Order: sequence, then C-alpha cells, then structure tokens
Amino acid sequence: MIEVKNLVRTFKSGDRTIKPVNDVSFELEQGTLASIVGKSGSGKSTLLSLLGALDKPTSGDVVVNGVSLASMPDGKLTNYRRRDIGFVFQQFNLIPNLSAVDNVMLPMEFSGMRKAARAERARQLLEQVQLDPDKHVRRINRLSGGEQQRVAIARALANEPKLILADEPTGNLDEQTGEHIIELLSTLSRDHNTTILVVTHDRALANKTDRRFRLQQGRLTEEPVRTRATAALTG
Amino acid sequence: MSVLARSVGNAFRNKVRTAAVVAVLAVAIGLALAMLVANQAVTGKVAELNASVGTVLTVNPAGGQGFEGGGEPLTSAQATTAAAVPNVSSVVGTKALRLRNAAEIAAEAASGRTGQGGPGGQSATSVTTSLTAAVDAGTLGNRNQASTGTTGSTASGTGTTAAAPAFSLPITATGIGAEVDSTGKALQLTQGTGLGNYTAASTGALLGTTLAEKNGLKVGSTFTIQEKTFTVQGLFDAGTAFGNNALYVTLPTAQTLAALPDELSTMIVTVNSMENVDAAKTALQAALGSGKADVTQGQRNLETAVSSLDSVKNISFIAFVAALGTAGLIILLIMVMLVRERRREIGVLKAIGAPNRTIGLQFVLEALVLVALGSVVGAAVASLASGGIASALISSSSSTTAATGQRGGPGGFPGGQGGPLGGASQLLTSVTASASPGVIAAGIAAVFGVAIIGALVPALLTARIRPIEVLRGE
Repeated sequence: MIEVKNLVRTFKSGDRTIKPVNDVSFELEQGTLASIVGKSGSGKSTLLSLLGALDKPTSGDVVVNGVSLASMPDGKLTNYRRRDIGFVFQQFNLIPNLSAVDNVMLPMEFSGMRKAARAERARQLLEQVQLDPDKHVRRINRLSGGEQQRVAIARALANEPKLILADEPTGNLDEQTGEHIIELLSTLSRDHNTTILVVTHDRALANKTDRRFRLQQGRLTEEPVRTRATAALTG
Repeated sequence: MSVLARSVGNAFRNKVRTAAVVAVLAVAIGLALAMLVANQAVTGKVAELNASVGTVLTVNPAGGQGFEGGGEPLTSAQATTAAAVPNVSSVVGTKALRLRNAAEIAAEAASGRTGQGGPGGQSATSVTTSLTAAVDAGTLGNRNQASTGTTGSTASGTGTTAAAPAFSLPITATGIGAEVDSTGKALQLTQGTGLGNYTAASTGALLGTTLAEKNGLKVGSTFTIQEKTFTVQGLFDAGTAFGNNALYVTLPTAQTLAALPDELSTMIVTVNSMENVDAAKTALQAALGSGKADVTQGQRNLETAVSSLDSVKNISFIAFVAALGTAGLIILLIMVMLVRERRREIGVLKAIGAPNRTIGLQFVLEALVLVALGSVVGAAVASLASGGIASALISSSSSTTAATGQRGGPGGFPGGQGGPLGGASQLLTSVTASASPGVIAAGIAAVFGVAIIGALVPALLTARIRPIEVLRGE
C-alpha cells in the first residue's frame, strides 16, 4: 500500500517559488492501476519522481508498505528503486550503446541475478512487449521510438517491482501496440498484484484504470471512473 | 553483460577518441618506461663502477714507482696497517720482478757487456728466465736502455766497435695476493684456471697471451724462472701488448724468487665505496706516513663519471615520475570529461537501482582498459626508444661536465686521455639500456597504480550525481 501524505515540492526560479506538487495526499491499495492526467507542466512527472524516490519532497512523506521514504538514507533509497520500483520514462532513458536485451538485463544485474537467468527473463519480457526476436540484440539507437518504448517497459518489469511508475507509456506507440501495452499493464496489476501509476494524455488508457487523478497547478483531485468490472460488463 | 564487459564496450564507444586517448597515453607511458629503463641501467652501472676500479687506491714506496725512483720498499707490516684503516675493504700486496732471458744474459757476459743495473733501488729483483719477451725492443726500447746505461756496447781495450747482439726487453713478473692485475682489476683469463691460493707459494703461473704465444706455451706447459720450473695454469688477456708481455705468480713465490720474503712493490687497497675514497686515502697516507709511502688514486676521473651517471639517474627518475604523473593526469581529465558527458546515463543507472560502487567500478575499469592499451603501445615505444633516450641523456650529461671541465671550474679535469673526461667518457657511453621484462612490468604496475588513483576521482564524482538532476531536463 502506498500512502502519500501532504506532499509538497517547491523550486526556486529567480525570485519566484514554484510548487509543482502542492499538498498532495492520496492512498493506493496494492494491485491498483491508477492514472494521473493533467496539462503539460502541471507537475505530473515531478510527482512520479517523488513517488519513485528519485527526488526528495520539500515537505510531506511517501509511505510504502509502512516504510517512510523521507527517513530513508540514500543507500536504502537505491535498494528501494532497484527492488520495488519500475520506471518507464517519457524519453525512455535507455543506454544507447547496449542492445535491447542488455538494457533489460541491467536492473537484474544490479539485483545480483545470475547471467543465464537474467538473459532468459529479458528475452521473455521482450517477447511480452512484442519486440521482434531479431531486434533483441540490436543496439538501442537502431530501434524506432516505439520499439525503444517497449524495451523501456520491459526494463521496468525486469525485477518484478511492486510499483510501476510510467510516464506516457503509450505515447510513442501505434494504436494496436498501445492497446497491447495497456492490456499488459492491466494484467500485471490484476494477476501479479502490481500497483501501477501512469501519467498519460491517452484517454483510452486513463479510462481503463481503476482510479483516475487530475493534477492541476500542483493540486491533485480524483475523478470518478468506471471500474474494470463495470467496463467489462458495458464493453 | 557484466560490469567489465560494459566497461570494455564503453572504452570503444567512440573509436576515434579512444585512438587519440591511447596515443597520448602511449607517449606518456612509453616515456615513463623508457626513463625507468634508463634509470635502472644507470643505477646498475653506478653500482658496478663503485664496486670496481673507482674505489681502488695504489700505495707505492715514497719516491719510487715500479722499477723507477728510490726510497724504502713496502713491507708486509705496512699491508697489515693499511688493512686496519677505516673503510678499507681489502689490501692486496704485489711484488714485481724483472725477468731477463738467461741465454741473453750469458751472451752479454761472454761479450763483456755490463748486465742489467737498472735505475732505482729495485734492480736487485731482476732474475733469469727461459722465456723470451714477446715485445721487440725497437727504437723506444733501445733508446730507453741506452739512457739508463745498461747497454754498453763498446768492447773495451780493442779500440774497435763490436756489433751489439740483439737486445730484448725484460719481462715483468708480478707476485700478487689475489687474482687481480696490478691496477686492482680482475684478471681476464682466456684459458685455464687461476692460481688458487694466492697467499701461498706455488709453481703455477698465469701468462699473458702474447708471451705464451711467443714462447710456444699453452696451459700445462712449463718454463723456468731462476732455474726453477713453473707450470702455465692459465692465460690472461690484459688488452695491451705491454700488459700481455707479463706473467703472474703468487705473492710468496715472487718474494722467494727475489729473496726478499717480507718486501712488497705496491699495495692495491680497495675502499668500501666511492664516497669514502677521499677519506680513506687521507687516513691511509697518515697511517703509513708520507715519508714512507705514496698513496694515489688510480682513476680519479671515475668520480666524475659516477657523478655524471648519478645526474642521469636523478634526471631519469624525475622524468619517470613526471611522465607517470602526466599519465595519471591524462586519465583523470579524460575520465572527468567522460563522467560529465555521461551524466544523464549515470542518472538513469542510478534511477534503475545501480549502486554507486558499481557505477564507480565501471568507470575505473574503463580507465584501466584505456591504460592497458596505452601500456602495450607504450611498452613497444619504450623498448625501441629507451636505448636512444638513455644515450641522449648520458651524452648530454657528459658534454655538460666536459664543458665545465674545460672552463676550469670545480670538478673539471685536464685533457690528456683523449678528452676532458678521458676514460670516464668511455665508461659513460658504455651504459646499455635494454628494456628487460621485469623493469617494463614494474613500470606498467606503477602506471596502473597511478591510473587507478586518476580514475578514482571521477569515479567518486559519479556518486554525487543525483538522478533527478539529470532526468529533470526531459
């Protein structure tokens, strides 16, 4: 379970103080698929960084399964990111001179998984995100944007994290692949009890999540959505 | 992919830059290794010089030298006194004899000519031998004999001038207390063995190569001195025609042949190190008395040679350290540049859970890959260039010393032996710098040590990078 308590993040810009995240509080049960929508610059990515322990809040706290991130030293935050978090960045942030499979293997290498095991899992994950097998060993800079997006998603799934934070995960994908990724994320949250929080402009994706939040000028409000059960009944 | 494999891959990420970095590193590493090789070669040579003739003092009777001059002969008691002087590591006594061919003396006696008187007080040690000198008297020999009054060639009472029989030079026989020549250098035996115990009487002898050849002798052959039979136990090469017209016997043998059992012609005194030669010389002169013995330092100019080599040693060591430091600095700057260039990548690795030590190790290993490549090329450069660099350093150093000597400044030496440094310059140029695998390996180990230090700084810098700072840009 994730509890976000009065989270505030401010930045100085000259004489002005900007608050991209302003007193945000919410809770997510384990296995929830949630989305955050909002205009560009509304603080969505900043909020994801705070939840993923990439950044520290100005005030407030994020509590994951009863453990406060605010009081965690840097070394434990690294462990938390490695073990419990899967990131899908908007710009993919893959290592350009490594192959697709090597990129997916990286988080598993940092976790100490044996080489053969991580190679096998990386291959399976790349198949799950529908990357052609002949492109598994191709360097990242020789893959299209959509292919890189799929590799980034596979990398986020590598260590079977409890929480996946995805920034526009379907932004660079065609409709059919996007649908597949939405289905994959939905399956993960449902069958593997993985909490998934996606930042998206994709209405189709937002409509398929269990909970939908809107971030406006740093403040978070929840919008009503159809549940997955309702959506299944009404089509 | 492991950290090592990723580091190797990163090292070749930009091939043009990698080639440039390796080339610059190779120059620095090559220079460092060449300087180390030169340093080792010169250090070896200095040790060799210090351990050899550069530390030898010669003691002669006051007023006499060889078969010239006068004064009182040296004695075994004085050798004991010399051995007790501080810093003296050994004292070897010699007894020189002048051998003349027995048949020639008999012919001279028959013709009524005067025998060998010889100048100075040591002519009494002239003895007969069956050997014939290997050097022809020639113009110089006959002139020298004439000037010393030993070749009276006018037959008395007849008023006529008889033709003088052919004159042959005497042969120098030296009794020695150790297997060294009269300057203290080890005898270079070309055949046979030494005489074993040089402090005991023996019938063995060591002959110069030309003397043996002239008399048709080889190892095992016999000849006579004072009608006593000696066996040739070895042949030596002194390197000169005069030196090879000589023979060596043990010291007691020579003293017995001369019938002067306690007498020495010279003493060869070896001092424990070059630094102590001056002090030992003064102490030795004081102990023996200036009226009884003259103490001389045979090859004084060796001090200058060693001093020059010491300068080269210091210069090469400083250059080695400087080149090593340069290699470390190159690595430091290159890795700082790479860390700055890959800040975003480092941020991503941290965002997905890479520990600081893994990222730091990756950069250190990448630096070591570059250093390994630079070392391979640098070692090749060093093996080719070390000899030339060492020669250039030595010739530069010796010409500087020579220039000082010509100006008459301190440490300068007069000409006379073919140049301001005389034989010392030959010693300087005889230094050969060969890149031995051991020295190259030690040098490369030092390079790797410096490279690790150079790479650690940028590697530690990666720990300060916070992922959000580099990812916020998106």
